Amino acid sequence: MSPEQIVEATLFASQTPLTPREIARADESLDVGVVRTALDGLRERYEGDGRAFQVYQLGDGYQILTRPEFAPYLERFDSVPRPPSLSRAALETLAIIAYRQPLGRIELEEIRGVASASVLRTLQDWELIAVVGRGEGLGRPLLYGTTKHFLDHFALQSLSDLPRAQDLPISLARTTAEEVTESDIGSLVRSPETSEATGSMSGEEVETESP
Amino acid sequence: MEGLSTAVPNRLSSQQSEDTFLVELDRFSGPLELLLHLIRSQDIDIFDIPISQITRQFQAVIESGIEDLELDRAGEFLELAATLIRIKAQLLLPRPDDVQWDEDPRAELVRRLLEYELFQEVAGVLGGAEAERRRHFGKGYLALRQQPEEVRGKLTTTLAELIEVAGAIPEPDPVTTHVAPTRVVTVEEKMSAIRTHLNQTDRLLFSRLFGSWRDREHVVAALLACLELARQQVLRIEQVKRFGFIWLFGDNDRKKSGSGSKTTNKVRPSDASKLTDVHDTETPSELSLAPVDS
Repeated sequence: MSPEQIVEATLFASQTPLTPREIARADESLDVGVVRTALDGLRERYEGDGRAFQVYQLGDGYQILTRPEFAPYLERFDSVPRPPSLSRAALETLAIIAYRQPLGRIELEEIRGVASASVLRTLQDWELIAVVGRGEGLGRPLLYGTTKHFLDHFALQSLSDLPRAQDLPISLARTTAEEVTESDIGSLVRSPETSEATGSMSGEEVETESP
Repeated sequence: MEGLSTAVPNRLSSQQSEDTFLVELDRFSGPLELLLHLIRSQDIDIFDIPISQITRQFQAVIESGIEDLELDRAGEFLELAATLIRIKAQLLLPRPDDVQWDEDPRAELVRRLLEYELFQEVAGVLGGAEAERRRHFGKGYLALRQQPEEVRGKLTTTLAELIEVAGAIPEPDPVTTHVAPTRVVTVEEKMSAIRTHLNQTDRLLFSRLFGSWRDREHVVAALLACLELARQQVLRIEQVKRFGFIWLFGDNDRKKSGSGSKTTNKVRPSDASKLTDVHDTETPSELSLAPVDS
């Protein structure tokens, strides 16, 4: 029984991503280094053999998943559980929370211009956002932030993978490009890097490595 | 930002632009989306929004569809409309030449719009990332999704077959109208019915006269019969209190009481004390009998 086989069996049997440390628990002969080597070996083997699945990595979590080209075939089946395809309102809300967390409902509604209580509930149900604290002001309102699940759902390694404002085409600014400066746009968004740097709660809550 | 954009626009062009902007209000999930649509589709410079024109167009779209919206959503649109009007008012207010605004009244709105659009873009990026991630399938059981039944073979019908079937359809029945005859209820009938009743009992509850018939004809006939009989002094009609039960007393009672001359044949709302004055033999207690269900 080679380490590669043990790792393969462990990944196959798991429904959720596993880190090398978790995989190493399968046997005394494994440690994190051995596991990583095995994972590379598996990856090469699957590609070389033309298998329909691959070793999928997100952050430090590994899974065996089918290659994307097979989606049309598999979509004919109901596979449980499959993550939802989110509505535009949900995506919009997630976008705002991702960049501005921790954020309360009122502030969210001001940005969106529409009521948001039910979207927030839905996103909480799907565990894409969570309450990360309470605001200081009157009523000590709940503040929301994105979860680790959020990163998995969008295949993001961390919040830094979100596009920076400067990289987005903002069509409205096109017309008078010379008037729009970097700082104009940049000031609209506290980029994820800065919010982490200031050590706000989002940094701790969101991207935990598995313990 | 410079320049007032509230110069009176060319009437013709503003008319045109208004006409082309009757869009469906419910296309938009919120007021910012509508505003953005107005700005984009007219290629308006967001850093110099013609507030007058935009406000007018915004209001026109709202008016066309707001009644069909839920109250909360309608409120959201109205709020932005109010904001636009406020900005317009601020731009219109005269200011002394040497006083500048701290900030163009439109600035806040522009910031909001830019921010909103930014997040729309991000939402699009997220949507793409989500779709890509969902193309990978992991472990789970596969249940066959319900497929609609496939029809096998082509359906062919010849014209001859069609005509044959059409010819076999029977003629529709001629339309027969049934006329339900209305039975005429005469006042005379009611009058004799009342007389019969009153021969058997001292007093009669008015509502009992029509029994199970609640048709207007019966009630009206009964009422007229009562009034006629009362006029003929065959019976007395009394009601102890307003909206109380209406009792009919046959003239047997009158003979008993012996106070015929004082009896009234008028229907009048009277309270118990008054009755004791008029009718010796009848005490309030008699009149306040437990109501008979009718």
